[in-house]
Amino acid sequence: MPVQMTTSLYALPPALEAQLLTQLPAGTLSFDPADLVLWGRDWTRVHPPAPAAVAWPRSAEEVSLLLRLCHEHRVPVVPSGGRTGLAGGAVAARGELVLSLSRMNQLGPIDTVAETVRVEAGAVTQAVHEHAARVGLSWPIDLASRGSCQIGGNIATNAGGVRVLRYGPTRHWVLGLEVVTAQGTLLQLGGALHKDNTGLDLRQLFIGSEGTLGVITAATLKLCKAPESMDVLLLQVADLPAVLRLLGAARQGPFSLLAFEYMARACIERVCQHRGLRHPLGGDRGGCYVLLEVERPAGGTQQVLAGWLEQVLSQGLVQDGVLATSQRQAQELWALREGISETLGTTGLPHKNDVALPLSALPAFVDALEALFAQRYPGWEVFTFGHVGDGNLHINVMKPPDMDPATFYQHTQQVDHDLFRLVARHGGSISAEHGIGLLKKAYLSYARSPAEIALMRAVKQALDPHGILNPGKIFD
Amino acid sequence: MKILVTVKRVPDPEQKIKLKDDRIDLSAANWQLNQFDEYAVEAALRLTEDARNPATRLGEVTVVSLGPAEVQQQLRAALAMGADKAVRVDSRDEDLDADIVARTVEKLVRRDSPDLVLMGKLAADNEGNEVGQRLAGYLGWPQATFASIIEVVEGGKALLVGREVDAGVEMKKVRLPAVVTVDLRIVAPQAIKNGRTPPDHAYPEGPRYASLKGIMAAKKKPIEELTLAQLAIQPTLRVRTVSVRLPPPRKAGIKVSSVQELVDKLHNEAKVI
Repeated sequence: MPVQMTTSLYALPPALEAQLLTQLPAGTLSFDPADLVLWGRDWTRVHPPAPAAVAWPRSAEEVSLLLRLCHEHRVPVVPSGGRTGLAGGAVAARGELVLSLSRMNQLGPIDTVAETVRVEAGAVTQAVHEHAARVGLSWPIDLASRGSCQIGGNIATNAGGVRVLRYGPTRHWVLGLEVVTAQGTLLQLGGALHKDNTGLDLRQLFIGSEGTLGVITAATLKLCKAPESMDVLLLQVADLPAVLRLLGAARQGPFSLLAFEYMARACIERVCQHRGLRHPLGGDRGGCYVLLEVERPAGGTQQVLAGWLEQVLSQGLVQDGVLATSQRQAQELWALREGISETLGTTGLPHKNDVALPLSALPAFVDALEALFAQRYPGWEVFTFGHVGDGNLHINVMKPPDMDPATFYQHTQQVDHDLFRLVARHGGSISAEHGIGLLKKAYLSYARSPAEIALMRAVKQALDPHGILNPGKIFD
Repeated sequence: MKILVTVKRVPDPEQKIKLKDDRIDLSAANWQLNQFDEYAVEAALRLTEDARNPATRLGEVTVVSLGPAEVQQQLRAALAMGADKAVRVDSRDEDLDADIVARTVEKLVRRDSPDLVLMGKLAADNEGNEVGQRLAGYLGWPQATFASIIEVVEGGKALLVGREVDAGVEMKKVRLPAVVTVDLRIVAPQAIKNGRTPPDHAYPEGPRYASLKGIMAAKKKPIEELTLAQLAIQPTLRVRTVSVRLPPPRKAGIKVSSVQELVDKLHNEAKVI
């Protein structure tokens, strides 16, 4: 459904509004309809935003005060970061109070011995990258939305991104968390310790909880040395089975793999067209594409790649390709991959799926998927791409131009049941990195057993008995 | 046509400059091919191929760089783009100035007799913009700087070179052999006409990528290694760097609350209006 400007459909209880306005500094709250629309939604466009208010606290104490008051009044709260999510996890569509961490963006000094840094939750991911890069370190979670997304959101969604293949998801790079619970209690979970075996690791509960268990206000991040000499290649490959054989060959290559991204040719075509970019191979010549990013061994030149490339070319794994010889060209190649989501969202209305499969099951899954889509989406535009090195496929089905959005969503939701049955049958996950949020909750049972979901509910009940934190996300 | 292209490695211009003992600290520099030199390589390749059949070379492109062994990487990159061979003259950046570089290239030009020397208009590190002009002077050759158009005319005996000037494009004819330095628009789709590629052919904007076949071919292309002594160059610096300082940090700005206050401050404090 298209987003419309909402006039205030919802309002905070007057007593709560009065308390918030008197106890928080001026300028912390907004009820402006334009703010409500902007801050009530993420990158999804399915649910029109309709929060009752937006708050921008400046400290964990203010977050605690806000939550304590909302808890007393049983007013739901949507914790909010850069709002770049793709599952509706940060959407406020039912009169919630949006609690934005944007003003809490302080970056602490970097401990170069322990390789850690303490940052506030609202710090933009790219700012953290740049902060660490000044001392030659890196927080290796990297996403196409790095310029907008925030550390708190990265942690709350256990974000993946383009370097999971080498570094794993966000969970691996968080040492300590500061969390405010639904009742307003401030918790320090872990610190800068690399080792801490003292009972349950509560911090892990909040990582990936999508804002349903507590509000993350600060984190101690684990850093690592930034890769030194990286090479970026765009390779043209015949088909998906060949892509997987190429992955096998790349794992044996004289380098370490940083990223292995798959793109159907339609993706590159659309991005080039939309952004006015040149096709790196001079034009489409069929097959599909792999964007490969590798780190060369110290002191090695690009020539170490030449031998490997010769091998994969002679084996027919690769048909053609280019190697970026400068930082500029590397960025141009990455722009083709990172521009896909924005391009699809701007040039049409995509229905997004984000599935993960065991690598061995991927070719059979894709065959079955193509058969399913040919039957259920005959002639529709479908764009597939993703972090194939992690078994992660992004599937975007575009709304046919002559169909109204409501019919489109209704149809895609029906097909999703078939799709997720297929995913489950091949031992996959229905949401590899986007989370469950609002958009995938109807399908949670394809990924998790009733016993698991019951346990999740018990944890939610223990931490948020009145269900004020991000209600309706993950499950109802 | 035989073309000699000079290339220089420069630290990534996006990187923040660090100083150490009054010198720029390049220990953590991220080296890359100077952008204008990359454009010169592209221009040389377009001049020596028929775009309908780029595999068949119609001329020869030699890339030359002065620098330490690591410069091989930038030379290989140019070879992977399609240049035919390379020469590296062993030296350290701190032992060079524009004059030594120009005299070194002069020796190579006299030895190899190319029809054309193509260079970037300047290097992004010190933005000297000197070597091309000095080289033309030493050789006594015609020069055309800041080229944005190159057209081969008179059956390959001369070039028509377009230079962007304030009022438009100035067209100059230079007889070959000549020295031409290129500006950024030389990599526009139709900036170069070589008489073989159909005049309506449009290249993709920008320098080409290294193709896989190019990378493998580059492995087998020769890089000749020379020393300044072998070329009988006296490495006496005419320009010495005494010290390097960062510009003073800018003072923090202020916020004004009204246009009146802005005008007042510009008039009474800054005294600019």
